[in-house]
Amino acid sequence: MIIDKNTKKELIELLKTKNIGLEGNIVKLINPDGDEEFAAYLKQCSEKDVATRRKRLEMTKQVQTQNAELTKLNGENQRMMDELQNTLTSMEEQKNQIESQNGELLAWKQENEKIGAELVEAMKQSEQARLIAENAKNEAENNLDMMQKRTQFELINNIVRVALYVIIGVGCITTGIYVYSMTIGMDTDIIGSTWSNMFGILLTNSFSIVGTILGVKYGTSPNKEEK
Amino acid sequence: MIDSILLVDDEDLFHLVFEDSCSLLDITLSLKSLNSADEAVKLFADWQKDPTNRPECVFVDLNIIGSSFDGIELIRKINFEYGNHVVIGIISSSNEPEEQAKAVQAGAQFWIIKSDEIEPRLEEFKKDYDGFKNRTQPFKVYK
Repeated sequence: MIIDKNTKKELIELLKTKNIGLEGNIVKLINPDGDEEFAAYLKQCSEKDVATRRKRLEMTKQVQTQNAELTKLNGENQRMMDELQNTLTSMEEQKNQIESQNGELLAWKQENEKIGAELVEAMKQSEQARLIAENAKNEAENNLDMMQKRTQFELINNIVRVALYVIIGVGCITTGIYVYSMTIGMDTDIIGSTWSNMFGILLTNSFSIVGTILGVKYGTSPNKEEK
Repeated sequence: MIDSILLVDDEDLFHLVFEDSCSLLDITLSLKSLNSADEAVKLFADWQKDPTNRPECVFVDLNIIGSSFDGIELIRKINFEYGNHVVIGIISSSNEPEEQAKAVQAGAQFWIIKSDEIEPRLEEFKKDYDGFKNRTQPFKVYK
């Protein structure tokens, strides 16, 4: 590429006065065409361009390195954030699980309380049933006792009655024979003493029997203490 | 000096680094930078019909974030779908032999490790460039 003289002069003037020169690969494409001053200008522009590019290259590399470190740190941060998020999610799940278990425990507690109340009620009923059974047992025992006593009393009564019948019968028969003997004029010594002895024995036994009856009655009476 | 270069890389900062390095090392005067492989494929589809402004050499990043496919697939497409008329290779921070083998299969001619000290590698590449252009230089990794 060849540039005309006026443009060359203007470019050289710009570099001198305002420090503005050509930059980039275009500098490499311009032919000074034997113009030494312009060749020096192109060399100066090229050197300036190389310096600028070198500086920019170094800065870009630095930025690239920092960028790589930042990317790495960002990756690490992201990994930590993910771990944190996973931990939070896990904790949330555990919290929900615990809440669920708490709910179940509460339900179990209420159920247990209900069962406990039912058990207390059942124990009360059982106690009442036990008392009723005990009362029934005592009543049955009393009834049985009474029945036994009544049976014993009836038995004694029968024995005493039979004994009285026997005594009265023997008394009547002996008396009858004694009276008959006196009536027909028979010897009454033997029968008289016999009747006398017999009557004494019978009376003694009668009193003994009556005493026994009264003693039995007193002994078998349910309210003997009151008496 | 290479007539024209196309750089396909998602990292804008590397565009600046590459441009300044190429200028300082007098590698090329014409550099075009793209951020996406899809954009590059579209341009190569156009250049297949009209090769005007078609680049002489293509540098492709291995993992082009935001693109439909990676750098190796882009090289394969350029080589096998849009004509094998460019010097093409990978520029990446990765140095995986398995990936390099895949790149060779896709038709990559070179693999430049991307790091802070890219200039020496580009300078070495510049020396080998004629071999890549006339297809006499075998696949090379610039570490």
